[in-house]
Amino acid sequence: MISKTLMVMRIAWRSIWRSKRRTLISIFSIVIGTGLPTFTVCLAWGFYNGLIDDVARLMAGHVTYEHVEYRNSPSNDLWVDDIQAINSALNNDDEVLLTKQMVILQGVAHTAKGAIGVSLMGIEPLKEISISFLPDSIVAGQYLSQGDGRWAIIGDKLAERLNIKVGKKFVFTTNDINGELAEDLFRVKGIFKTGSSAFDSYVVQSDIDFARMLSGLDSNATSQLGIIVKNPDEHKKILEEWQNTLAKNDGIFLSWKQIMPDIATMISMDRGSLIIIMIMLVILVQFTMFSTILMSVLERKREFASLLAIGTKHVELNFQIFFETLIFGLIACPIGSLLGVGALKWVEGYDMSKLVEANPEDMSIGGFAMDLIIAPFFSTSLILQISIIIFLLVLILGIIPMFLVSRISIVDELRA
Amino acid sequence: MSTVKSNDIVLLQNIKKDYGQGKVVTEALRGVDLKLAKGDFTVMMGPSGSGKSTLLNIIGGLDRATSGKAIINGQDVGSLSNKALSLMRLNNIGFVFQNYNLIPVLTAYENAEYVLMLQGIPPFRRREKVMNLLQVIGLDGLENRFPRELSGGQQQRVAIARAVSSDPQLVLADEITANVDSDTAQSLLELMSSLNKNNNTTFLFSTHDPAVIKFAKKIIILKDGMISDEKTSSE
Repeated sequence: MISKTLMVMRIAWRSIWRSKRRTLISIFSIVIGTGLPTFTVCLAWGFYNGLIDDVARLMAGHVTYEHVEYRNSPSNDLWVDDIQAINSALNNDDEVLLTKQMVILQGVAHTAKGAIGVSLMGIEPLKEISISFLPDSIVAGQYLSQGDGRWAIIGDKLAERLNIKVGKKFVFTTNDINGELAEDLFRVKGIFKTGSSAFDSYVVQSDIDFARMLSGLDSNATSQLGIIVKNPDEHKKILEEWQNTLAKNDGIFLSWKQIMPDIATMISMDRGSLIIIMIMLVILVQFTMFSTILMSVLERKREFASLLAIGTKHVELNFQIFFETLIFGLIACPIGSLLGVGALKWVEGYDMSKLVEANPEDMSIGGFAMDLIIAPFFSTSLILQISIIIFLLVLILGIIPMFLVSRISIVDELRA
Repeated sequence: MSTVKSNDIVLLQNIKKDYGQGKVVTEALRGVDLKLAKGDFTVMMGPSGSGKSTLLNIIGGLDRATSGKAIINGQDVGSLSNKALSLMRLNNIGFVFQNYNLIPVLTAYENAEYVLMLQGIPPFRRREKVMNLLQVIGLDGLENRFPRELSGGQQQRVAIARAVSSDPQLVLADEITANVDSDTAQSLLELMSSLNKNNNTTFLFSTHDPAVIKFAKKIIILKDGMISDEKTSSE
């Protein structure tokens, strides 16, 4: 049995090298069929993950704990309390990289130039410095420090509209948690530019203690508790667990997809269209592969007929064809994956803005600018998934030639 | 599967074979009766279209008769499934084709070994048998050559080695001298004749070549799908 199998495998191996050019065309088509999706998908997934991570770190984390009504109406009087205990429990969780508290106050910023509706984010500066890209987006002045009090940073678009510069003052008016009017003076410590028009013209950041004082919240309460997790793809599992064990009656844990549905939808649509394009490409490439396999089988019909005549079973011939396609897949799919990864390594770190000649603000999803520095998503499981899918498609392609061989008429072929 | 006890290797009774359907039907065989005993060296002659190849295909289990009974080595081939037919060909029949039909990617040795491998013969016995056989048929030293590296006559010798390697009851040879020169044809026939004498293997040839006749113990003349004459060599 082993000898027979080895013999069939030997015939298959030698058969595919009978026509080197055809074999190389087949292998090349599978290499392209594996390499191109690997390159494109890892590249796109890298952009998406970068965007998700940037936004999660800038805003309210991969997972957010907030008041159950806050999503419907993000008003100042919807907060969550007992936050120190929850925060402490989360920081002991292996899945959690970091937590950040934020007090969000909707209000109006005004200067002599005019008044503009803004969102004041009271943040923990030290944590933001360690996780958010905003400190690196400062274009004038400095980022916040712990205990900065009434110092604030604002976006360049807001600064332009309020006509203020670093060191200048503006007044922020809001409602406290009891619905009373609250107002205070802020001084601009720095001006940031993220590339997101919506963020740069709407957000003001200040130290969380000052925001708490302005809103009337105590140190055990916050508008949002952002959680940065180690593996953003796995957060769904822990979301439910945290909801059951940590959440209070009026608090809810939400994923970034629920917090930023517009970004989630855009990414999902973008991913969907990319996958459709990849499927079409793979079908085209597989068609080339299929025609070469088919041709190779059809021109050997007489040979197969003589093998059948001397006692070879159909199943043994089918195994030979299966093994030929298996060899193609085993050689080409890993090469394709390696080629895709190699190409990704080659373009890693390249600034796409030079290539597309576009304003970063124009390259945005859900109002947030994509980082145009290429940072591919090198996921072994994703690369293997692509490779295995193409490999299985190659094996499936072998079924039709097998079917044709099973219908060979020995007499007709030997007579031909 | 039905098995018939008989001393004959081949027993054909009123074999008919029609090709085509409806109004256009060609009668390739029109009632052939034939007996081949063990050790026969039979030559089947006849003009093109007389039904030689069709008869050979039916005896070899490659084709099925439209009607009649074909009993090969005690088995009624008409009642066998395709799988059983395949097994019967493997274990009872050796084929030598006009165009050799060797496996181009296997060496002379591997081609001769192929059938033994299908039969599950252990490696050491295969090697011993094939090497002996290659020596007998005069291919000693050429065992590692691929068919494309051999002459037509040498390829036909490999085909003969493949056909007889498993000691089949019956070897069917279809126009085996058609593609080789007369000297090679002569040596091939001498080889098969000696295999017939030494191993008592039954041979059935289909040929146009008169040179084959002098080796025949029995000659069958086929005409218009029927046996028109049958004689032994002494006649």
